[in-house]
Amino acid sequence: MSPRQWARDLVMGARFAVTGGREGWVRMTLTAVGVGLGVALLLLCTALPNVFAARTRVEDARYANVYSQKVPPKADNTFLIAQADTTWHDDDILGRFVEPEGKRAPLPPGVDAFPGKGEMVVSPALKDLLASDDAKLLRERLPYKITGTIGESGLIGSHELAYYAGASGLKLTDFSPVHRLTEYGHPDSTPEKTDPVLLLMVLVVFVVLLTPVAVFIAAAVRFGGERRDRRLAALRLVGSDSRMTRRIAAGEALAGALLGLVIGTGFFLLGRQALGSTEVLGVSVWPSYLDPSPALAALVAVAIPAAAVLVTLLAMRGVVVEPLGVVRAAKQRRRRLWWRLLPPLAGLAMLYPMIGKGRKSGGFNQYLVIGGVLLLLIGITALLPWVVEAVVVRLGKGALSWQLAVRRLQLSSGTAARMVNGIAVAVAGAIALQMLFTGTQSQYTKATGKDPGRVQMQVDFSDRKPLSGVEREFTGTKGVRAAVAPATLEYGDARRNPKNSNGLTVGNCTALRELATLPSCKDGDVFITRTRSHYTSPSNADEIAVVKPGRQLYIDPSYDDATERGIEVPWTVPANVRVVDARKDSLQDANGLLVTPAALPAKAAPALFSDGVYLRLDPSVPDSREYIRNVVTRIDPLARTYSWSATQEDAKYTSIRTGLFVGSAFVLALIGASLLVSQLEQLRERRKLLSALVAFGTRRRTLSLSVLWQTALPVGLGLILATTVGITLGSVLLKMTRTPVAMDWASVLTMTGVGAAVVGVVTLLSLPPLLRMMRPEGLRTE
Amino acid sequence: MTTSPPGSLLTAHDLRKAYGPTHALDGAEFSIHPGEVVAIMGPSGSGKSTLLHCLAGIVPPDSGSITYNGHELTKMSDAQRSALRRSGFGFVFQFGQLVPELTCVENVALPLRLNGSSRKDAERTALGWMERLEVDDLKAKRPGEVSGGQGQRVAVARALVTGPRLLFADEPTGALDSFNGERVMELLTEAARSTNAAVVLVTHEARVAAYADREIVVRDGQSRDMERAV
Repeated sequence: MSPRQWARDLVMGARFAVTGGREGWVRMTLTAVGVGLGVALLLLCTALPNVFAARTRVEDARYANVYSQKVPPKADNTFLIAQADTTWHDDDILGRFVEPEGKRAPLPPGVDAFPGKGEMVVSPALKDLLASDDAKLLRERLPYKITGTIGESGLIGSHELAYYAGASGLKLTDFSPVHRLTEYGHPDSTPEKTDPVLLLMVLVVFVVLLTPVAVFIAAAVRFGGERRDRRLAALRLVGSDSRMTRRIAAGEALAGALLGLVIGTGFFLLGRQALGSTEVLGVSVWPSYLDPSPALAALVAVAIPAAAVLVTLLAMRGVVVEPLGVVRAAKQRRRRLWWRLLPPLAGLAMLYPMIGKGRKSGGFNQYLVIGGVLLLLIGITALLPWVVEAVVVRLGKGALSWQLAVRRLQLSSGTAARMVNGIAVAVAGAIALQMLFTGTQSQYTKATGKDPGRVQMQVDFSDRKPLSGVEREFTGTKGVRAAVAPATLEYGDARRNPKNSNGLTVGNCTALRELATLPSCKDGDVFITRTRSHYTSPSNADEIAVVKPGRQLYIDPSYDDATERGIEVPWTVPANVRVVDARKDSLQDANGLLVTPAALPAKAAPALFSDGVYLRLDPSVPDSREYIRNVVTRIDPLARTYSWSATQEDAKYTSIRTGLFVGSAFVLALIGASLLVSQLEQLRERRKLLSALVAFGTRRRTLSLSVLWQTALPVGLGLILATTVGITLGSVLLKMTRTPVAMDWASVLTMTGVGAAVVGVVTLLSLPPLLRMMRPEGLRTE
Repeated sequence: MTTSPPGSLLTAHDLRKAYGPTHALDGAEFSIHPGEVVAIMGPSGSGKSTLLHCLAGIVPPDSGSITYNGHELTKMSDAQRSALRRSGFGFVFQFGQLVPELTCVENVALPLRLNGSSRKDAERTALGWMERLEVDDLKAKRPGEVSGGQGQRVAVARALVTGPRLLFADEPTGALDSFNGERVMELLTEAARSTNAAVVLVTHEARVAAYADREIVVRDGQSRDMERAV
């Protein structure tokens, strides 16, 4: 067979697709839209590396927190900058105070002019948020006048919330979050070495998300196949041989795939713009970030039409097109199992050498990972037709709707399996990934040692604040049940240059009880703990020896080498000093001498400063965290406020997980659309038959139920197979990462449930057309 | 208001039905007696299939009345009409009537199963009818594996299996050669007469209409009884 003949037949097929009248166009449009959706998703994936690179570029370009660098002297090109991030409900807001020190001070990326004091430039999303009705509390927190917006070059996404506020008089001290810089940018932006397990997750996520897309495209090029086969019979009548007929069919699919490429590019461009104006799971991008890598885009452009031809040629093997009609091999050969087991077994064989490798033995072989996972997942599409056939051939007795469904499945189990392939592959991949994520979660989640049941929020001031003022501010704040604000200061055994000196914690009884177990407490009491929390050598015997009742000590002693003199207030250790046990879960690290305010001389009051506040919230008050953030901003705009949580997840681990959820949502939507088209196409094929059945009195309920069984049976079988393969793949992946294999049945059921829900929605959506097709009008021929 | 001819099983009066701007029926009249075979003839697009669909309660007419056995069909609900079609009527169409995934005996048994018969009983009765129509050897085959003529005989068996009082046949031989067409008509009319079932036969072939006792010609949506016109 000459390539010329091949090309001629393919072109003829493509021409038939275009000139085949309404039927031809409907079929080609179905294929093209299906392929187009797949192409758009593939192009989106080829653009993902660019998205990550672009976001990192912006983050590096606007980086301004440099701790190790030598502070430059004030000059014409220097500026002061301080971090003032905040949070609005669950959204983080990037905030910076900037103060240029000279005319040549560089502007932050994306900013046209420095905001003056009391002014700010904001991201478009923050501007919209501040203008919205429910952002009253945020407007109180950021009361600055908006003088401009931050441009694309200064933001990592269209929905990022960010502001640069103008400042004057920022103080550059050793401990303040204020920095003097001459330029923005990360001093060392060399990429850090990626954790091999995280890289494995990324690879598996890509394969798991893209395999169903490939399966979907393979299904899309067969949309409308039955109608096409009837037209091919006419070609056989005028002398086309069976091989020619297959090639002509492939040509038709090729035309659909090529049109699909064009439509897909259109979908991608539209989607690119749409994604620029939306936010998915807290992640937004700029349309310009979504530029596909040219090599990968070229691969998509070549692979899709080639796959269309290949899939059609393979599909046509089971169809005998005769001059007087299509015979779908009435006595089909029973499917054989042996070769269908080969892909999954080959996949396991590829993954096997990496078992037990773990995180510490270097990276995983990327090709083996991709190949192994791909073969295991593709194995589902090979095994599922066999499983469906093997099961339905044994089914029979039951209600009429059941019988109609079972007989239909027995006659064309391949079509049913094809419909379910995509969802089964997606579910298997999701189960495997969920197992991998759950199994390795402990490695990427560390316990913070904090008990969110005890304290819900903590405030760290940028500078020391008078204790009395801090307590006053928080006592009346809405939503605050208790505020613990201990003050720390120093004491020594001499007025100047003491031999023994230590920290002293001052707080009311509520505050001190968070640090030590106190048998009783009233204002005026003094305690010393037997141990000091979080110390390598916890015994506090040395300090206990110093703090003897009646001994003269000095609060805030002075040192000869210090720049400022202490207040040197004499203090006699009272007789009622009690030795107590420090709490193992003390809120503060150092907690030796604990003193209530009344036990200190009045002269010591000016030395009482708070570094931070621990807050217990009233859960019944909505927006309590927002009220607190507003109070904090009023006291200290540079303070850091954060919520307590028992655990903290690795940021990369979290972003891979988020990426999986976003990708899965797109893939499931795509598969749902594919299922719906296949379902409607099958119903259309049977329109006349459905009308005839209704004509002689078949209840619509019977037919609807039969359609439901027809979907439910292969879906059920597909999900069982998907669960088996998913658990196998998940176990192998866990063994590869040296993680004990444990089943998270809740996740397995959730993933399976999501798959079943997609099918359920599709079935529900196909019911109205089914009922329409059962109308007697279907009998009309004119 | 006209009264039904005495002893008639099904009577239709002044039937009108339009599909958009096209008037498929424009005042058509019809009546049939038990055991009678009536052929509805007419050119393509004249409204003969629409008349059959209305008479069978498949499509409701826009106006007019249809009386079956003293009951007004146009006043019945869809569920009542469906029940009537299941138990009182039988149907044979030109195409697309056998369920391709069911075997021939399962196809013939289908109306009985719809009426609630057990699978075993339904298939036993179905096989009896298949013998009468000389297609019992096809019981385990699927429609795709039998010839057009054999398929139509299976369809006739299915139409008669419930013992209907009225059989509707829409171009039952339209897709068959003359030999097979005549054999199907012979078997259909014989079987109907043996059970005293009336047959409404839509055809455009005079050869097929010759099996009828009476002919009605439909043209531009109006009917004309040829026997009475003579």
